[in-house]
This record gives sequence, C-alpha cells and structure tokens, in this order.
Amino acid sequence: MTTELERIIAAKEKRRRDLAALSFPEKVAIVVQLQKMVAPILRGRGREVRVWQIPAADERPVAAVASR
Amino acid sequence: MEKTLTVINELEKAGFVSRYARGGAMGATFYVEPVVTFDLDVFVVLPTGPGALLSLAPIYEKLRSRGYQEEGACIIIEGIPVQFLPAYNPLLEEALAEARETTYAEVPTRVLSVEHLLAIALQTGRPKDHERIQLFLKEAELDRPYLAALLQRHGLEELWKKVKR
Repeated sequence: MTTELERIIAAKEKRRRDLAALSFPEKVAIVVQLQKMVAPILRGRGREVRVWQIPAADERPVAAVASR
Repeated sequence: MEKTLTVINELEKAGFVSRYARGGAMGATFYVEPVVTFDLDVFVVLPTGPGALLSLAPIYEKLRSRGYQEEGACIIIEGIPVQFLPAYNPLLEEALAEARETTYAEVPTRVLSVEHLLAIALQTGRPKDHERIQLFLKEAELDRPYLAALLQRHGLEELWKKVKR
C-alpha cells in the first residue's frame, strides 16, 4: 500500500471516530440531514419514507459539528 | 426528539409499558457514527399481571387517542415514526433490564447497551446487522468480558466466531 493511500485510509478512520464521538443530539441532527439526502432516492424507487419533523432547535449546523 | 421521548416516558409512567429502551439503528447511533434510518425502534417490556394482555394494542390505542397517526408498522409521535417492539426472547428481556440510563436534552431515556445491541444484531443476522456489527467492532468501546459472558448465556458463541473470522 502506498503512503498516500495509507494516509487517506487513516484520515477516513479518524473522521469516523470523530463522528462516533459526537453527542447524541448532534448525531440525530446528522441522521435528519442524511434522511433528507436519501429520501428522494428511496421515493424514486417507490419506497415511502418520512423525514423526521423535529424542531429546528434539534437541528444544529451539521457541517460545523461534522468537521470538528 | 425530546417531545417524542417525553411521550414514551409518559406511556411508561402510566403503565402502558413496564420498561422501554431505544434500540435498532438509533440505538447503534448512540455508540457509533450516525447511520441513516427513518424510524425509531423502541423495545418494550409489556405489563404483566392479572388481566394484562401481552399486546401492543393498548399503546397504540392510547397514542391514537392523543391524535398520533399510524403509518405502516410505526406510529408518528411528534414527527418521528416510532416502532414499538415487544421483548420476545430472553436476550431482549435481559437487554431491556440492563439498558443504559441516559438523557436527551435533559429528557431521561434509555438505550440498550452496545454489547446487547451487538448480540441482538448477531442473533437477527440480516446483512445490515452484520454491517452494524462491523461498526461496533471498529468504533464502539466494548466491554469484552461482559460481551463474552452474554454471548455464552444466549448461545451465540458459534455465530460470533463465524462473524469474527
């Protein structure tokens, strides 16, 4: 494996660990963002899904929490 | 989410469930990176005793009376589809008994332990459960002696060996 590839894999693993270490409310906000991204694809395949309607206070800026 | 959990806490306080804890993908998300899901799985111990029916029907009736609508296998509580799942085997009963007390934005709640979530995924054995097990192994802090004992108690050691290969 090249050094560059090792660096990329290590960075991906670090990002996953960082995401795992977020608080649960921060993770819930990310789940809702993921739902918004995935829902149109699933609906296009005929699956009915509901994006969670939770108050805005629950949803923090995902980009900010995820990039810590 | 706070409102949803508050409603579920009220169900427990009123005796519609004896005990509950979050499981499934949102249980896993407590311990690992967020994974996409569209429902909140809530495992419940149903009340027992004279005249008690081991049925989810009273829970659904109560929620309907409060204006919450059913949608497929879920009921929408404060904007979140919730699926109630009764503890139908000894592993789930133990998982609920040993669920971890936590809070969500100051609302008290419970989540199944990561070791029980792993054991349940192992027992359920769908492809997505195997993916979840890999996430637990990579990202969660597992109490290995506790996990080993519970896998032995529930006859899951052979399955565990296969997954770890």
